[in-house]
Amino acid sequence: MKPIITFYLLILLFSFTPLFAVDKEEDAEVDHVKVIQPIVEKHCFSCHHDTKRSGGISIKAFFMGLEDQFEGRIVRGGKLWMHIMETVKTGEMPPAGEPNMTVEERETLLNSVNTILIRSLNANNPGRVVIRRLSHNEYQYSILNLVGVDYDAKSLFPADGSGGAGFDNFPNTLFLTPLKMERYYDAAEEILEKAYADPQKWRNMVPKSYKPNLFTRIYNWFLSLFTGNSYVDAPMKAAEEVIIPFASKAFRRFLESKEKEAYLSLFQKVYEGTDDKNRFDIAVMETFKAVLISPNFLYRFEEEQPVNQPYALSNFELASRLSFFLWSTLPDSELFEVAYREDLQDPEILTKQVKRLLNDPKSKRFSESFASQWFGITKLKESSPVDPERFPEFTPSLRESMYQELVEYFHYVLAESQNLLDLLDSDYTFLNEELAQHYGIQGVKGDELRKVTLTNRNRGGILGMGSVLTATSLPIRTSPVLRGQWVLEQILGTPAPPPPPDAGELSEEESGAENASIKDLLVLHRSKAECMSCHQKMDPIGFGLENFDPIGRWRDGYGDQPIIAWDTLSTGEIFKGPAELKQILISKNELFARNFSEKIFTYAIGRNVEFKDELYIKELVENLLENDFNTEKFIIALVNSYPFRYKVNDESAKFRILASN
Amino acid sequence: MSKWHISRRRMLKGLGASVALPFLQAMVPPGMNYYNMPKKPVRFSCLFMPNGVNKEFWTPERYGSNFDLSLTLRPLENLKNEILVLNELMNKGSIFPGADGHYAKDSNLLTAFPIYKTVGDNLHSGGISFDQLVAQQKGQDTPFDSLQYGMERINAGIDGAVGFTRLYGSAISWKTPTMPCTKEIEPRMAFDRLFRTFLPDNKKKDQTWKQSVLDLVKEDADDLQRILGRADQDKLEEYMESIRSVERRISDQERNKAFADQITPEIQKELIHLNLRIEEFNETHVGVDITEKTRQMLDIMTLAFWSDATRVTTFMFGNSVSNRNFSFLPGVSGSHHQLSHHQNNPAQLEEYRIINEWHVDQYAYFLERLRSIPEGDGNLLDNSIVMFASGLRDGNSHSPYNLPVLVGGKGGGGLKTGQNLQFKKETPLSNLYLSMAHVMDMPMECFADSTGELCEIYA
Repeated sequence: MKPIITFYLLILLFSFTPLFAVDKEEDAEVDHVKVIQPIVEKHCFSCHHDTKRSGGISIKAFFMGLEDQFEGRIVRGGKLWMHIMETVKTGEMPPAGEPNMTVEERETLLNSVNTILIRSLNANNPGRVVIRRLSHNEYQYSILNLVGVDYDAKSLFPADGSGGAGFDNFPNTLFLTPLKMERYYDAAEEILEKAYADPQKWRNMVPKSYKPNLFTRIYNWFLSLFTGNSYVDAPMKAAEEVIIPFASKAFRRFLESKEKEAYLSLFQKVYEGTDDKNRFDIAVMETFKAVLISPNFLYRFEEEQPVNQPYALSNFELASRLSFFLWSTLPDSELFEVAYREDLQDPEILTKQVKRLLNDPKSKRFSESFASQWFGITKLKESSPVDPERFPEFTPSLRESMYQELVEYFHYVLAESQNLLDLLDSDYTFLNEELAQHYGIQGVKGDELRKVTLTNRNRGGILGMGSVLTATSLPIRTSPVLRGQWVLEQILGTPAPPPPPDAGELSEEESGAENASIKDLLVLHRSKAECMSCHQKMDPIGFGLENFDPIGRWRDGYGDQPIIAWDTLSTGEIFKGPAELKQILISKNELFARNFSEKIFTYAIGRNVEFKDELYIKELVENLLENDFNTEKFIIALVNSYPFRYKVNDESAKFRILASN
Repeated sequence: MSKWHISRRRMLKGLGASVALPFLQAMVPPGMNYYNMPKKPVRFSCLFMPNGVNKEFWTPERYGSNFDLSLTLRPLENLKNEILVLNELMNKGSIFPGADGHYAKDSNLLTAFPIYKTVGDNLHSGGISFDQLVAQQKGQDTPFDSLQYGMERINAGIDGAVGFTRLYGSAISWKTPTMPCTKEIEPRMAFDRLFRTFLPDNKKKDQTWKQSVLDLVKEDADDLQRILGRADQDKLEEYMESIRSVERRISDQERNKAFADQITPEIQKELIHLNLRIEEFNETHVGVDITEKTRQMLDIMTLAFWSDATRVTTFMFGNSVSNRNFSFLPGVSGSHHQLSHHQNNPAQLEEYRIINEWHVDQYAYFLERLRSIPEGDGNLLDNSIVMFASGLRDGNSHSPYNLPVLVGGKGGGGLKTGQNLQFKKETPLSNLYLSMAHVMDMPMECFADSTGELCEIYA
């Protein structure tokens, strides 16, 4: 269901108020699912069942399987149910020709559905996040902070898929297979060997080595003869001082005494079982290896408390969420200290830390990871999506510059301008000589990207960026459909539905002749009823960007054919060229705010936005609208939000009982 | 082998294939009798081609054993008697409400069940894939129960238009319905994982403490299980399972020795040669022509079968919806997925067909490689079942009917190759899996929606 509809429906839902002003005491007695089921069974199932799915909707699907799951399912499908209730309320459903609902049936149905939905919103359910393996990004940066070695995890490990809103840190799409485990082991070995080869790095981790001189060794041996004490006491002490801090940092918490013992006894085993003169270092290295493949390091998780109501995350757990969100890495020593000595759940302390993290250069990792995935340009990092024969000028260095332009720009918006709407339009961007020439802008020299003020407002904002324009084109030509769909989906959060089953792919892809096809396409899409309703939304936006060629250069025509970059959006606005199109998008900033809120919520917390989150999402959207899209205020609000700081156990049945009280 | 030993093969040649063979003592090697003659294991492999085929030039003329190869199948000219062309099979699991696009037809090629429509919350392939079932039953005596190879990294992001995570398009092997196997896409890494230790100049890694390290982290995982909720525990089970699998590889001395013994001087020679090719390719690789890289992967699979490193592999020429640029082929200028939406434009159809033929050519290469390696009385291909398939027929209409399916190899003698077979329309693809299980002596009553066996393919 599209967010925009949700948003309005939500408002609508609250306007139902008189309908669900139910007597609370009576309410507790009623099983609303049992009230709903016979009514929809009678009036809706005959068309809306699994195989027929009129309008793409199966109502019957909500009432199949275990009965105690029905309510949870209705809540998860809450947006759809709001839509259903709206059609029932207006009399649109059941359709003409089918038996009408009686007034009483209708009232009862509306009442019961609303009660269930409202109850779920009022339940203060923070949701829960499944245990998740570190993403390759997070692994790389965690290793960098922990060991000081830069390990290119993304190239060296088998790739992960994406889930949720399209991010690679989504728990359910991060797997650990035998092959990956082997790679983790080999990586740990390689990383530690590299660190050991660099005395500086090794000393950072192992400040105190234990190397007995000849005298100590004789003395120890001598002592052991008489006291019977193991002569390894001294190295054990040295090892403890090295291993325990390393493991705490890696595990983002203090170690239990049982764990300490286990890691130290591994050290001891290796130390005593080795003759090498560097056996202290060797034993430390083997122990570190265990730390680096331990689930305590490789997974992010939050301990489950034996309670039925939502509970606050521990300070260390919250510190981890925060640090992985904004830095893609482990908490640093200050955050660790604050989590230990102060109460991170205190909004003031938490806010102070958010500001500190945002102002640290490490927050650029968030910018890169979030923006490159949100805007779908990660593929530019790996390989060229364009045809090399057609566009020899699309060099690897140009591709890299395009990618960096967007990252630099997003980070500047986040940290410097702090105005999120700059993403849609601004009078600056980040260029080096090659990229500036590509854009036809004079006076930029050298390879370094720097902020450049733009005189032509067609270019400012991400819609004028080579990376986005290339990523939304086909290898040899532009695709107004792809670009239009991209704007609808990634900017406004209102994607057009997929083409009807097996209708064939978008027909523009077939036509080879660049200059002839665009107009034909327009005509074709609008002549077929089944294509029109959606393409009317996508195509005009795409045409508005036709002045940018498949690799993002400005063009005034296709050869000698003029470009038609003016159109009317399905919502009625008329524009000519990219600059005007951008102004229309800015006027739709509420959609943009909601889409951004949902994306970043998913990225930061690690689960999809569900119906029960409506109130939190609404607060985030309002935060943007009230604060002129200020990024810092927004991130502070997000981190302070209930779903970020709390969790609930996964037994939904238990939780439901609680929610109904 | 003494002179009086007569191979089954020579018998066949002498008598003609139509005569049923009597069992002769002379066919048994000395020191063996009928009952203890070692049967060579049957290997299973599935090669997946994305984006369907140009249907006009796929199906051969005439059915039965006297058929003419179609234009696209031309590369199999010398292998005509080693293959089965199977027509009118379909994967019914790929038809369900919302099964738009490719993912719902490719990801379940080997499970034959509908996948869950999801952007990531509840990834589910419907079932365990056929290759993984084979691995469970036939892969326990080899260092790897199965190997998964491919050519493309998992595509990032979700496909908003059809509502699936692109992860679906990157896997045909499913260890469990909720966990896809990880595939290896770099020849270098694939080679090293299997064979590095058998190269002459290899420095052996010190593994003295590996088991102790693993013991410790296993303990960590046990402790962790106790403080987690149920869904978390399920997820952490992946970790436990992976650790166990790594352990098995270092601790099973007997199996490791058996594998090392398999590496004959001949195999080692091949290993050294392939290692050089990979090195050379990585140095000179310009990123356009991927034929050599594909062949390196297929060679690694050949060596893995030959050395008995594994008996089960899958290979993906590309991910679902792959848009690889095939302009390196004469007569093609464009990318795979784009050209597969040919809209019946003759020029594009021909380019599409040339791309199909390239895939068949690589398949033929693999079959030839297997055939070139003697094993028992025949060759490695005789003891293999090598499937080649796409989840779509016509890429333009995304049609899942009458899938392009080839099977190469005699499956240890159980398959009657050299046929172009037409089954009843909409015969479940799962019937093929059931039949192949039968050929491999796997106990199986039914597979997914299977309705029976394809008796015509049995020898």
